[in-house]
Amino acid sequence: MGKPEVKGTVTSLSSVFPPEEMQKAAKMVEGKLSEKQNEMNQLKEFIADNTSLINLVQKLPDELHHDIMVPFGKAAFFPGRLIHTNEFLVLLGESYYADRTAKQTVEILKRRGKSLMSKVDALKAEMQDLKAEASFFDSTASEVADDLVEIREYEEDNSTERVSQSGPVELESPSVAEADNKVSASEDDEYARLMSRLEELEKEELAAEDEDANANATETETDSDEDELTEAAFHRKKVEGYSSLDHNQRYLVSQPRKQLQQSKGKDPMNEEMSTTYNHQDLTNQLACTGLTAEPVTKGNYGGEISRGRIVHQDTKMLNPPVNASVPSEKTSLKQIIHDSSRNEKPVQTPKSEFDSSKAFTGSIIEHTENLEKKLPEQKTTSSQSSDSKPSKPVSRFKMQRK
Amino acid sequence: MSSSSTALRELQRDLENKANDLSKLQKDIAKNHQVRKKYTIQLGENELVLKELDLLNEDANVYKLIGPVLVKQDLAEANANVRKRIEYISAELKRLDSSLQDLEEKQHSKREAILKVQQRIQAGKAKA
Repeated sequence: MGKPEVKGTVTSLSSVFPPEEMQKAAKMVEGKLSEKQNEMNQLKEFIADNTSLINLVQKLPDELHHDIMVPFGKAAFFPGRLIHTNEFLVLLGESYYADRTAKQTVEILKRRGKSLMSKVDALKAEMQDLKAEASFFDSTASEVADDLVEIREYEEDNSTERVSQSGPVELESPSVAEADNKVSASEDDEYARLMSRLEELEKEELAAEDEDANANATETETDSDEDELTEAAFHRKKVEGYSSLDHNQRYLVSQPRKQLQQSKGKDPMNEEMSTTYNHQDLTNQLACTGLTAEPVTKGNYGGEISRGRIVHQDTKMLNPPVNASVPSEKTSLKQIIHDSSRNEKPVQTPKSEFDSSKAFTGSIIEHTENLEKKLPEQKTTSSQSSDSKPSKPVSRFKMQRK
Repeated sequence: MSSSSTALRELQRDLENKANDLSKLQKDIAKNHQVRKKYTIQLGENELVLKELDLLNEDANVYKLIGPVLVKQDLAEANANVRKRIEYISAELKRLDSSLQDLEEKQHSKREAILKVQQRIQAGKAKA
């Protein structure tokens, strides 16, 4: 399981980006850029004219009348006077004029100036984009000239995966990896790192969990009613789940795989959790029925077990209601962890059988500090504050994912 | 042999016709774009005018330039005229948009037809 498969393709850049097309594209971009530059120059001229006009309009009413040389025809002037120096006939646009005073005219001109400035800004943004395009083309053109070659490697991250699930997972991951070849390789490493860290944290939390779980016993009593209903539903689903479990397992595993490839960090944890939960479903179902009576009385655990179980079977249905109370994935993850830790307690022993087959030994805890913070916050939600060892890590993460 | 060559020639003539149609369509699309641009600019200007007219006092004088004549207009009348013009321009733009879509569809289908004719020509040449 742990051996990563590496496949790769080697493509010469010149086949992907033929040089002539590169040059054509570069020329096109240059042409567009020069066009935009001309427009920009024009707009800047307008703005300059506008400001000089504002100055003139502001100066005119200083005098009652001005002595000027009036243009007469194409090539003549005669001396004259500029009177009514505070009255301006302003062009509003579309051959509409209005009589305005100097101050009002200045206001109109200022508004025009503002719209011009906004146009200039928009044009600048366009030019930036074009420049980025041009630089991209230039760099790829130089790469093609240097005969650079693009190498793609597909790597599957099976380091933390269970052996039983390696088949479907591996089938899926290459296709997924192809989509994000470079990204997936790094994501797999991240994922592996995250998972190992989670395991460590879980172990730490397990110790602290015992203390916290008892403290929250009273808070989940209100949930017991819901739990009973969900327990019934859960039992039904258990039966269905047995037959479809394998399928679900595959489906759920492959799903997280894809998510893993495409979203960093969060989903890998979910995936691992969900797969572990899937494994545990079968054995835990029996344990669940036996324990359902107990959790009800215990209040604290009952709700969570049934919830956790149902989540296994029908993650999609339950995830929205569960997730509704948990806005962020991280908080839901922690809630799930909390849930599972509560539930895990009575069910710990049967589940331990599976632990060996799973990467997660049961307690998945991302950050001890965060979990402890979430403890007080999540009193109203199904997951109580205590650290959660995922007795059913799968369900929690499934919930979280959905 | 001769029948195949005449068939080939026919196909080629067909291809030429279709190519001409396609270039005409492209010219129409380009014209459509231009007219659309003009209308969009006018629409923008009219909206500016409307804004300025709203800022005017009731008693301000508004004039309209009709040819070489500057005619005094009522503010309310000017407002109404500008609004109607805006509506007219928007309707025109919508019409142009739909006609542009039609033209593009026709262009697309023409391109496919040309491809088919070209394929047939290739097949014919391969046989001969």
